[in-house]
Amino acid sequence: MTKRVQMVLVCEDKQHHVFARRFLRSMGWDVDRLRIEAAPPGRGAADQFVRSRLSKELESLPPDAVLLVMLDGDAKGPAERLRELNEAGRDAQMSKHRDRTFVFVPTWNIETWLAYLNGMTVDETNRHYPRLARQRECQEHVDELVEMCRHGGLRQPAPPSLVAACEEYHRLTSAH
Amino acid sequence: MLERLYVDNYKCLVDFELHLDEVSLLVGSNGAGKSAVLGVISALRKLVRGEGRVTDEGSFPTRTLTRWRDQDAQTFEMRVVLGNDVFQYRLELEHDRRRDRARIIEETLMVADSPLFAFETGLVRLYRDDHSEGPTFPSDWSESALARVVPQQDNKRLCRFVDFVSGLVVCAPHPPGFRAESKAEDSTLANDAANYADWFRHVVQEYPDLRQPFIEQLKKTLEGGFNSMRLERVAKDTRELVAAFDASEDGWRYELRFDELSDGQRALVVLYGLILLAPGQDGALFLDEPDNYLALREIQPWLAVLEDVVGDTLRQALICSHNSEIVDYLGANCGIVLTRKDSGITTVSKLDRGSTEGLKLSEMIARGWE
Repeated sequence: MTKRVQMVLVCEDKQHHVFARRFLRSMGWDVDRLRIEAAPPGRGAADQFVRSRLSKELESLPPDAVLLVMLDGDAKGPAERLRELNEAGRDAQMSKHRDRTFVFVPTWNIETWLAYLNGMTVDETNRHYPRLARQRECQEHVDELVEMCRHGGLRQPAPPSLVAACEEYHRLTSAH
Repeated sequence: MLERLYVDNYKCLVDFELHLDEVSLLVGSNGAGKSAVLGVISALRKLVRGEGRVTDEGSFPTRTLTRWRDQDAQTFEMRVVLGNDVFQYRLELEHDRRRDRARIIEETLMVADSPLFAFETGLVRLYRDDHSEGPTFPSDWSESALARVVPQQDNKRLCRFVDFVSGLVVCAPHPPGFRAESKAEDSTLANDAANYADWFRHVVQEYPDLRQPFIEQLKKTLEGGFNSMRLERVAKDTRELVAAFDASEDGWRYELRFDELSDGQRALVVLYGLILLAPGQDGALFLDEPDNYLALREIQPWLAVLEDVVGDTLRQALICSHNSEIVDYLGANCGIVLTRKDSGITTVSKLDRGSTEGLKLSEMIARGWE
C-alpha cells in the first residue's frame, strides 16, 4: 500500500536526496509527493542552508505535510546537530512541529552509512569513506538498508547515527 | 552514451567541443547555441539512418554554415561509449555556397583507434570487428553509406554504433501539435512529438511490459482520476489514443481523446512516455525545453523519475532549459553553460559551483553571475 503523504526534504546535497528518495520509495512512500530542497552549490554553506531553510519550512508547513531534514553530523554528531536545529527553528516554534519534523544526521557523513551498508565496520569519526562515483550507485546500499529494516534490524555493530535515524524513521511510520 | 560532440562551422558552433555525462543540463541565454547542439545531433541521426542527403532540410543545408566565416568545410565528431567499446565518428563536409550543394569529404568510424568504416574519395572501405579489411564499394558523396551496411556476423560493432545513433531521441515537445489518431506504428518519434500516438502504438506493441509501469506513473501524476490509456480501433488500421478517467466519488467514467487533454496533460503523457517507454529502444534522450506547459509542481517529480531510469534502463539524457526548477535540481551536478562571445561563437563552461554562497543557481543565472 503506497503511503501518500506530502513531504518536504531539506538536505545538504544530491547524495542525501537520492539516498532518501530511493529509500522512501522502496519502503512504499509515494515519492511523487516528496519536495526536495537541497543546498545550492557553494563553499561549506550546506549545513547553514539546512538550518536557515528549516525556519522557513516550519513557518509554511501545511497541517497535513511532514518535514524531513537531513544534514551531515561531521565532527558534531546527531545530538549537537539536533540542538543546532532546535536553536535555528526556535522562532518558528520547532518544538510545536516536532511531531511532523524528522531529522536524519549521517555522521561523519552519508558516506559512512554507505560504507556500513557495503559491509564495512565503520567509525563515525573517520571522515574519509569514499564517495560514490555517481549518486545513483547508492541503490544497492538502499536495498541493503531496506532488507535490514524488514528483517530484524541493523547489522551490529551499526553506526550510532544510523541507529538514531532508524528510530526517527520509525517515529515517521508510526505517525503515518 | 554520447560522451563528446565536436562541431566546427555549423551556425554559431565553431571549433565547439561538448562533453556529456549520463545526465546533462544545457543552460544559456537565448541564441547561445543550445538548440544548435540538438540540431546537430538530430541531423547526424538522420544522416546515419540514411534518411536523406546531407543538404536536405533537417540535415546540413549550406545555410547552416557559420555566416561570418568564409570556410566551406563543416566538421562533426562524436565519441560514443557502448559497453567496452569507444567509438570515434568523424564527418567532414564541403559546401558549394554558390550552388547550395554539399558533399561528404570524409566519413570514418573507429573503435579502439582502429577503423570500422571509412569513406573517402567516393569509396567506402569496411573493416570487420577484428579490424581486418572487409569489402569496398562506391558510394554517393551526398549520403552517409553507414546506413547501407548490411548487418553481418563480422560487423556487429559497426551495427551497434549505427543502432545507437539511429535510436537517439531528439525532441522539443509541442503539445498543440500532438495527434490522437494513429494510422500506423512508427518507431521514430518526430522532433516535436506530433506522432506520439504512432510511437506509443509501436512501443506498447514491441515492449508490452513497459506499458503498466507507465500507466501507474500517470495515475499518480495526472489529476482528475486518470485510470488508463489505450488505443481504440476506429478503422481497419487506424487507432485513436484515448485516456480513460474514473471519477470514483460519483461513479462517473469518461474518456478523452489524446488531443482533447489539456496541453499540459499531453506534455506530461509524452514526457513520462519518453523516459518510461523509451528504454525499450535502448535510447538516449535529447530534450529541448521539456518543461514548457508543465506546472511548477510537476517538474521536480518528473526529473526525479528521469534520474531513476538513467543509467539503468535509459542510457543518457540531455536537457536544454531555462526553467529554474530544472536548473536548481540538475545544475549543481551536471550543468553546462553555453555563452556567445563578442566574436559570435559559442563557448562552453561548467555551471559555476563555488563562487557565490547561498544563492540558488537559477538566481545566479537570472543575475548573469553564472
